[in-house]
Parts: sequence; structure tokens; C-alpha cells
Amino acid sequence: MDFQIALILAQDGITNGAIYALLALALVLVFAVTRVIFIPQGEFVAYGALTLAMIENGVFPATAWLLLGAGVIVTALDAGAVVRAGGRRVMMLAGTHLLYPALLIGLLWSMPLKDLPLIGQVLVTLLVVVPMGPMMYRIVYQPIAEAPVLVLLIVSVAAHLALVGLGLVFFGAEGYRTSPFSQARFEIGPMFITGQTIWVVLSSLVLIVALAMFFGRTIYGKALRATAINRNGARLMGISPALAGKLTFFLAALIGVLSGVLISPITTIYYDSGFLIGLKGFVGAIIGGLASYPIAAAGALMVGLLEAFSSFWASAYKEVIVFTLVIPVLLWRSLTTHHMEEEE
Amino acid sequence: MRSVISPRVLIGAFMLVLLVAPAVLPPFYVTKLNYIGLYAMVALGLVLLTGVGGLTSFGQAAFVGVGAYATAVLTTSSALPGWLAWLGASPWLTLGAGLVITAAMAILIGSLTLKLSGHYLPLGTIAWGISLYFLFGTMQILGGHTGLGGIPAIHLFGFELRQDNEIYYLIWAFLLVGVFTVHNLLDSREGRAIRALKGGMVMAEAMGVNTARSRMVIFVIAALLACASGWLYAHMQRFVNPTPFGLHMGIEFLFMAVIGGAGYVWGALIGAGLIVVLKHWLQGLLPAIFGQSGNFEIIVFGVIMVFVLHKARNGLWPILTRLTQRVIPVRAAQRRIDAAAEPLARRELPIAGTLLLDAKNVTRKFGGLVANKDMSLQVRSGEILALIGPNGAGKSTMFNQISGVDTPTSGEVLFLGQAVAGRDSREIARMGMSRTFQHVRMLPTMSVLENVAIGAHLRGSKGVLASAWRLDRAEEARLLAEAARQIERVGLAEHMFDEAGSLALGQQRILEIARALASDPCLLLLDEPAAGLRYKEKQALAELLRKLKREGIGILLVEHDMDFVMGLVDRVVVMEFGEKIAEGLPDQVQRDPAVLEAYLGGVE
Amino acid sequence: MKLKHTLLAAIGLAFAAGVHAQITVGVTVSATGPAASLGIPERNTVDLMPKEIAGQAIRYVVLDDQSDTTHAVMNIRRFVSDDKVDVVLGSTTTPNSLAMIDVAAESKTPMISWAASSTIVEPVDDKKRWVFKTPQNDQQMATAILEHMSNNNVKTVAFIGFADAYGEGWWNQFSTLAQVRGLNVVSSQRYNRTDTSVTGQVLQMMAQRPDAVLIAGSGTPAALPQKTLKERGYNGKIYQTHGVANNDFLRVCGRDCEGTFLPAGPVLVAAQLPDDNPVKASALAYIAAYEAAHGAGSVSTFGAHAWDSGVLLQAAVPEALKVAQPGTAEFRSALRDALENVREAAGAHGIFNMSPTDHLGLDQRARVMVEIKDGGWKLVN
Repeated sequence: MDFQIALILAQDGITNGAIYALLALALVLVFAVTRVIFIPQGEFVAYGALTLAMIENGVFPATAWLLLGAGVIVTALDAGAVVRAGGRRVMMLAGTHLLYPALLIGLLWSMPLKDLPLIGQVLVTLLVVVPMGPMMYRIVYQPIAEAPVLVLLIVSVAAHLALVGLGLVFFGAEGYRTSPFSQARFEIGPMFITGQTIWVVLSSLVLIVALAMFFGRTIYGKALRATAINRNGARLMGISPALAGKLTFFLAALIGVLSGVLISPITTIYYDSGFLIGLKGFVGAIIGGLASYPIAAAGALMVGLLEAFSSFWASAYKEVIVFTLVIPVLLWRSLTTHHMEEEE
Repeated sequence: MRSVISPRVLIGAFMLVLLVAPAVLPPFYVTKLNYIGLYAMVALGLVLLTGVGGLTSFGQAAFVGVGAYATAVLTTSSALPGWLAWLGASPWLTLGAGLVITAAMAILIGSLTLKLSGHYLPLGTIAWGISLYFLFGTMQILGGHTGLGGIPAIHLFGFELRQDNEIYYLIWAFLLVGVFTVHNLLDSREGRAIRALKGGMVMAEAMGVNTARSRMVIFVIAALLACASGWLYAHMQRFVNPTPFGLHMGIEFLFMAVIGGAGYVWGALIGAGLIVVLKHWLQGLLPAIFGQSGNFEIIVFGVIMVFVLHKARNGLWPILTRLTQRVIPVRAAQRRIDAAAEPLARRELPIAGTLLLDAKNVTRKFGGLVANKDMSLQVRSGEILALIGPNGAGKSTMFNQISGVDTPTSGEVLFLGQAVAGRDSREIARMGMSRTFQHVRMLPTMSVLENVAIGAHLRGSKGVLASAWRLDRAEEARLLAEAARQIERVGLAEHMFDEAGSLALGQQRILEIARALASDPCLLLLDEPAAGLRYKEKQALAELLRKLKREGIGILLVEHDMDFVMGLVDRVVVMEFGEKIAEGLPDQVQRDPAVLEAYLGGVE
Repeated sequence: MKLKHTLLAAIGLAFAAGVHAQITVGVTVSATGPAASLGIPERNTVDLMPKEIAGQAIRYVVLDDQSDTTHAVMNIRRFVSDDKVDVVLGSTTTPNSLAMIDVAAESKTPMISWAASSTIVEPVDDKKRWVFKTPQNDQQMATAILEHMSNNNVKTVAFIGFADAYGEGWWNQFSTLAQVRGLNVVSSQRYNRTDTSVTGQVLQMMAQRPDAVLIAGSGTPAALPQKTLKERGYNGKIYQTHGVANNDFLRVCGRDCEGTFLPAGPVLVAAQLPDDNPVKASALAYIAAYEAAHGAGSVSTFGAHAWDSGVLLQAAVPEALKVAQPGTAEFRSALRDALENVREAAGAHGIFNMSPTDHLGLDQRARVMVEIKDGGWKLVN
């Protein structure tokens, strides 16, 4: 391997690593606030990419129907809760869960989706897929928010399976690519960089900085941080865990969909692509101990690089290498973080 | 009075049904029952590992694969070296080989990943589950991704188990042996240690349980069950390739255990049965409703799992038993205490007045904060010493230095002349120091008797195999008799068979004393034993402690309740701001101005 | 004794009169899981297969095996024990088909596989005498590629394939045959269907400067290595396998696939075949049937493998009916014999001539070389 190849591999690793880093951040965030190990994170990547592909091909995105379905369930659940609590006001809030998808579907029908500029198509994708995040929290996790981590993990896996199955129904077995944000190519010495790669890396950086600002500067961000540090304390201070959960899932879904939109021009995305992508983001998150954002991002970047180089040296063993190397990292993490058991 | 049925009758009826099933059921149902049996065996391992031991594994399918591949390669390959080739002569030899390989791998993987705490462990299992799956596919000797065919059928007493209704009996015999092994294991000395892993590790270690070893034991057993399932699978399928051993199957096995009831041995069977039947049913039903275009099965399956976890987190087995109980009342398995069991050997107590505990100039700093400063105290056999002081005086920190949970910054603690620092809780327990906890630590779903019996862990020696195959009954009877004796002694006899979690808080503290006594200590450390007790109960406790003192045990009390302490103890040490401010007889101390000031907030 | 026989016969007749006499066909297909893009058109094709042969109604029982051997075996066990099928069709993948052989042989049920590997039917032994298949062997396809390579002065070739049974089957055939033909395989790489990047593998291949690259993948995932090769400026020839022969592949691969060669069944370019080609009519018939049901341009070569098993049944069932009634062991055995004797049956992929030693029965007419040109499939002469 010469220096040039190493450079190209590094570039490839960083591009994938940037996506893994975004996902790792979302996973850390979700775990810190809700204790949910968010396996379906990867499905938001696939749903985002494939919904955009549908729109590009001028096909009505089937995910909009899922949004409506989720809205119906949320409304039913909320209505049930309201009736039991004897309240009235929330009825109005519940209505929004129906109204929003209905309006959106109407809008999608009336719009010439195929002729929208790319930015418009991306926006539509976000409008369709991202709200599923908080809805998912409401339906799947909120009823068992106090359950042990293990139960939440298994629920996550079940939700992941259901979403993959739905993905096959919506998008079919074949994959899609979307058109790149930029056709530019830059030659730097022996290597060249595509515009899309720069988009991926820069957008990831911007998102990471934006997240940092959100947590550091805004009231909602601070509320989430407070919840992550001490759930009960935050509740006493008037931060509703349900709101914190929905907000977190909104952010996680946003990050997932943006990741999907960013990578779908450089690779083919399938209905079941999300799992392995998410899992690798996960490995990064684990290296960060599901707690530290910068270490998680660095870990994810490392996974991307490891993957690029091992696919060069021993492509048949790539996954074996990536996933086996997690174990020593995990071991090191659990030996250096001192706390004698008794979670649950 | 309703008639009550013994559980044995139900199990007998179940076995009978199993026996005749292949004769009366359509052949395809027998096929399904075979798969249920195979899956239940893996799920059974997960019940032990996850439901009972609290260790979640997504990687069991990989161990199934190891079992299946071991026998597939050994029985079909013609390219084996001579020293291995003899194994291929019979599937029974390859079963042995598979179990040995699996055990070795489980010990290797376990020693790497079982140290992972909390949620790292399930993620670690995902990692090695995926790694092994891809290894199966890349190794040419294992037939690569395409797989290995032509695996012979199993021969048993000259019969070839070729048809589904023939191998059926073998599969279910394996499963039932597995169920009874696990069942027996859990109901034993080792079993109590295993059951303490989930939420009681600190306590179990303090009672002398080697929790790391117990974790490894259940990990290996679960892997061996999976391996046996894989061996049967290979000889039933007579073809292996990597796809049945991937992560998705690992997930499915975990689902089976959880949906059936991960805490219950029979939950594995219910879960495996339910999932196989449900899938079969969905496969027929869903295409009829939605048409052929999609994987609706997995969607419905996912949704059902979410729903079950919302509504029945402990799985279906407890619900099922409750419902059955209404129709057919089954007698709860009642423990009998064999009062005639030979008492356990006792430690020879030091003669009264021997120096047991000697804390010398103990200082403990946390950063800039000095929690204990230059503390010294001594406890002799046959005396009760109270350590008292206002809130935040540093009593708990001192207690931790003495019990070996924490290590002093300077100074030392000697127990029977040996330094406590650097020894783990188990060793200290073995030396004869036993303790209770300020915040009660017990296993709420286990009976009072079993909780106390954990205290006697170090007084038994029968291991896993003896427990699994009931060679431990004599010792078990002695352990339980000892536990019962201690329970009677502390006055909880009427609650002996109740769930420990149903006791009042004060009673739970008493339970902890009984548990500590079951370890036959020479020094008893009690952390606020009287908190939450009513007057009568306090009197009884005081009486008990006096009796123990007369027997020659040394007792260190950390207490708030002055009335309780003053009438009971021989000497008192008073702490404030991490320092000793007074020491002496109760009467002297009570009149000490420094103590009065500390307790009354200073006399201006 | 005699009375009992008469009674049984009477009951049998009563049933035969009541229940419409019919032939039951069990179909297990990988409609979900990794092989779904192959299995879905196959399952769609089952709906178009003959509903009646020689006056006998045909009933199809279709089950999905999720691209998994356990389910494939479970399905075939169900077919033979519950549904009492007369013949089993499928499954889509090689491992699934291999895993089913034991059950088919033991229950003495003929089985027609839709998977590629020649190991499914070769060598014809005690077990495999019950097994037939319709897709061209990997070998035939690999030979076509190698011939084309030799004819175009390719001396060195790099291989990249799926890390699954498909890629492995191709690697085994291709590497063996290449050696025979004196071609130098300079690099062998693997990737996963859902991988997001194959840059490492492509750089490794390009470092060896091969004259050509063969990509052994199926469906849209086969586009990723090709796009990466183009992106990295690879100028040599690129070969794909027949696994990519559907329109989704063209859509995803776009301009980067211009000039790619692949071997395929003639059905892919049926309209371009000369009129005297014996396959042309039967291939066009399939395309017409499929596109009528699923829309123009929806046809894939995989569905045609399923179609061809219908063609085989159409030829063999009338012969078997002369010997025994459906639903009996005699019929299954007769059907097996009849399948082995099928001659000159024109399917969508070729002309089938079975024999006791050849349970595939396709010859060189069953494959053509195709080039991707102007976003479409172009027959290479």
C-alpha cells in the first residue's frame, strides 16, 4: 500500500465515519435522556434516503401513509389518556397528530414532487419522516418509560424488525441512489475529492456544532441535559420526561434522516441498509460509553477508518475485524468505568 | 375445600401428551414440535442467563452454529487429519466434541465479555454474534456460505432416527433433561448464588459468593444448551449453512425467552412454542389478507412483541399459571425443612475478650474532604460496641473501611490480626466477619428461607454438577435447616416461606441479621439494625444480640437510636466530623459534654 | 381382504368424485430476506403458470422461506407431509435448494430448483435423481464470460463478489475455469450486499492493474463496485453476471454501466434474437404474460426460471398421468421419470433436453452475451 492509497482509504473512512459519528451522537443523546438503546436509528437513515428517492422518481412516498397511521395511533393513545385523566385541553393537541399528516398528504398529492428543486425535495422528506421520531416515542417507549434498560432494548429490537418489514413493503427489495447535491470534483495532488464527500463531512460538522449550541444555549437543550443527568431531579424542576423523550426522538430522527439524505448520493441504500449502518454508529457510541459525545464521535470515525482499511486488506473478513475489535474496546471501557453493578 | 393437585401430576400429564403426540398429530405438527423443542433448548439457556442471571445475550445463535458445524464437519469431511477422523464415526462422538469446543469457546468469550457491565454486555454479544456468523461463511472447511450437506442421521440403539417422528423423541428427551437440570440447579446452593446475580451482587459477594464464577457458569451452561440444540438441528436438517446462525436468530431466541417469561424455566418452552406457532399461523393468514407482496410476518411479529412487552413485561408464563390456577388449583411447591438434618460444622469461636477487630488511626480522604480522621476502635469477642454520631459524622465511611468495601488513605484495619485492606468481600466473609446493610439488600422475589440460606453459602461445598443432578440433597437439607434455625432464632419463623419482598422494612433488617448469622461469623457488623422496628421488636432484637454476645460473638453496631444503644451495648464510640470525640461506657459517654454538644447542637 | 380393498377403492372413488382431481404443487421461494430481489419476480411468475395441464387442475401452495435454509426445509416438510404435493418448486438460493434435497429424496417427491449452482443436480445420484433445475449452471455462465474475455484479449482479471453463497458459487466456478483457460485472476475481493463503500476492495483490485473486472452480485447491489471503479477512473472491461438482469440495476447504475458485458438467458434480449432462434417465441410469450400483469419493463430473468419449471411440468405431467393418478407415490415417481425424459421443451431461457445424467438439460442456446448500451440490454453477436 502506498501513501496515495492510504490517503484515499482515509478519505473514504472519514466520509463513512462522519455519518457513523452523527448516528453515534444521536444514540448517545437518546440513551442519556431516555435510557433507550435506539436500534431503529438506522431505519431512519434508510427511510430518509428512500423517501427522497421516491420523491425524486415522482412516486408518492409511501412513508406518508405510515405517518398518518402513526398519527392515528398517537391520537387514540392520547385520547385514551385524556379520557382517563378527565382533561379537555389535550384533545386539541391530539388533533394535530391527525391534522398534520392529513394536510401533508394533501400537499404531497397536489405538488409536482418530481419537479421540485433538490432542496425542496429534501425538505419534503424531512417533513414526512422526522415527525415519526416523536410519534414512535409516544407509541413504543412512553408507556414503558420506567422499564429496565433490557426491556427497552428488546422493545427497540422489536420496533426495528417491524420498521424493516414495513420498509420492504414501501420501497421493495431493490436499492436506490439519489442525485448528488454537487457534481463538483476537486483534484488535490494525486487524489480527488467529490463535492458530495465535502457535503457529507461539512454537514456532519455543522450538525455537530449546531447540536452543541442547542445543548449549551437553548432552554430545551438545557432541559434535555438536565434530564440526562438526573431524571427525577429534572421532573421535580418541571421538565416532563415525556416531552424530553419526544424532543430527543425528534432530534434523533432528524439526524437519522439527514444522514440518509447525505449518503444516498454516494452509495446505494436498501430497505434493510439501516441496521448495519446504525450498528456501526453504535460501535462508536459504545466507545464513548454511551455518555461522552466527543469520544463517541471519535470512536465512530475510528470505525469508519478501520472499515476502509480492512476492506482493502481482507475484504472477506471486514465485518469480523470491525466487530471483533469492539470487544477489547468494550472491555477497556467497562474496566475503566468503576461502578459495582446493581443497575436496574 | 377445593381439591388441590400436585405439580407432579401436571408434569406427568404433560409428558404423557408429549409421548403420544407423534402418534395422533398430523406429521407437519410433529415437524413443528421438533423445531419448538430445538428452539426451547436455546431459550432455556437464555432463561438461565438473562432471566435469572441478568446477563443479556444476543449471540446464542452463534453457539447453536458451533454445535451444528462441529458435527457437520466431523461427520462429513473426508479431509480430516487422522487424529480427528475417528470422531466422525458416530454423531454421539461429535456431540461430545461439539460440547468441548463450545465450552472452550464460551470460556474464552466469557472471560473477555462477561466482565462487561450493564448494557455493554448485550452489545458485546451482538459483536461476537456477528463475528462468528461471518466466520462461518468465510471458512472453506465449513462449506463457506453455500453450506455442508449429507450429514448422517443419528443412530440410537440400532435405530436410525431419520423421520421427524423418530428424532422427535430424542429432541424432547434432550429438552426435558435440560429443563430438569436447570430447574434442579436453580433450587440449590449454587442456584441461589446464580439468582443473586440479578440485583444482588454486592450482597452475594459479602456472603462469600464468587459472582464472577457464577456468571461464567451460567454462560457456559447456556452455550452448551445452544450447542446441543445445534447438534440436533444439524442431524435433523442434515444440512448446515450460516444463515440459521445469524444475529436475527439470536434476537429471535431472546424474544422467545422474554415472551415466554425469562424468569421461568417453563417460560422457554412457552415462548418457543408461541413464536413457532405464531409464525406458522401468520405465514398462512397474512398473505390472505394483504396479498403476497411483502414481509408482513415480521411487521406483525414486531408489533406483537412491542405489545407484549408493554402489557406483560414478565412474559406469559406467570399469566398462564395464574389463569391455570383458577381452573386447576395446583399446590405450590412447599419446602420441607428436615429438622433432623445433621447440623453444619461450626467455627470455633475465640475465647471471650480476644481482640477481633482493631482499627488503627484510620484516615480516609475524598479529594480535599476528610471523611474519617485518625479513627481508632477495637472490638473484642463477647462484647457489643456501638459506633454513634450525628448525621454526616462519617459513620458509614468508617463502616466501609472496616468491612473492606473501601480502603483507608492511611492507617489500617486488622481483623483477627490480619489486614482487611486488599482483600475482597468473599475472603473477609470467609474469615468470619459478616455484615448487614444500611439500605436493605436482599432478593425480594425469593423466600425468606432462601435469602437466609445465601448467608450459609460458604458452609456448603457442593458444586454445579452435583446440584444439577441432585447429588447435593443431604448438604442442601443441612443448609436449609441451618437457615431455618437462624430464622426461628430472630423470630421470623412465621414468615419463613413468604417472599422476602413482602416483609415490612423492619423485618427485612432482621432477615439480614439472620442471613449474617447463617454464615456462622465471629464478628457481626450491623448497620442501623433497629431502624424501622417497633418497640417490641427492638426489645426482641436487643435480647437476641445479648444472647449472641454471651455465645462469644463480637458485635459492632452503627446506630442512631440512643435508647436502643444505651441499654444494650458494652462500650460506645462517638464520632463527629469524621473524628472520634468520645469513647467509653454508655453512662460516661452520655454525660460527656462534647457528646451532648454534638447531639444537642451546642449549649450556648 | 378383498372386501377391504374394494371398500377402500370405493371410498377413494367417492373422494375423487367429490374433490376435484388436481395436482398439488408446493412452491418455496425467497420472497423476503437477502435474496428477495430474485425471489419476488419468481413468486409473481407463479401466478402466471399453468392452472390446468391435461385436464388436471393445478393447485399451487406458495410459501416464503425468508432466504433461510431452516425455513426452506420446514416448508418442504410441510409440502410432503401436510399438503401431499406431487412436485416441489424452488427454492431461490443454492443453500436452500441443497438443504431441501434430503427431504425430497426421502419422500420421493420430484423437485425443480430455481437456483444456479450445478452442485444441486450434479452428480445425479440416489438422492439427486429426484432433483431438477431450470437456471443455467454457474459454469455455463462463467464459461461464456471467459470465452468473451479470451476473445477480447483479456489476460488478467480481478474478481469481486458478494460475501454470500452467490458470490462464493461464482468464485469457485470462475477461478477454476479461468485456470483451465490460462487466465490470470489477480485479485479476489468480497463485499456485503448492504455495504456503503467498496473503495478498499476497488483500490486493491486496481493496484493489480487487471485487464478486466468481474463483479458477481445480484440486483442493484452489484452497481456499487462498478460505480466505484468508474469513479476511481478504471478503464478496463467490466463484466457482470446474469444476477443483475433487471431494470432496477440499470436505473441505479446509470451511465457508469455503459459498455458492461454480462452473460444472460436469452429471455433478457428476446426481442433482439433472430427469428429462427428456437427460444425467441417462448421467451416472448413469458415476457408478454409477465408484463401484462406487472407493467412494461418489469420483467426479470429470474421470474423466467420459475416459468420454465412450468414449461417442464407442462411437458412431463401428461406422461405421468398415463401411469398414475395425482396424489400417489406412483404419480410422483412417474412424474420424476417423465421429467427426466423431457425433450426439446422450449422455455424462456432455452431448450430443455433432460437425461438420466443431466437434470438441467440446457445447452449453449440457453445463454447469450449481452452488453449494456444506451441504458438497455443489447445482444452481442
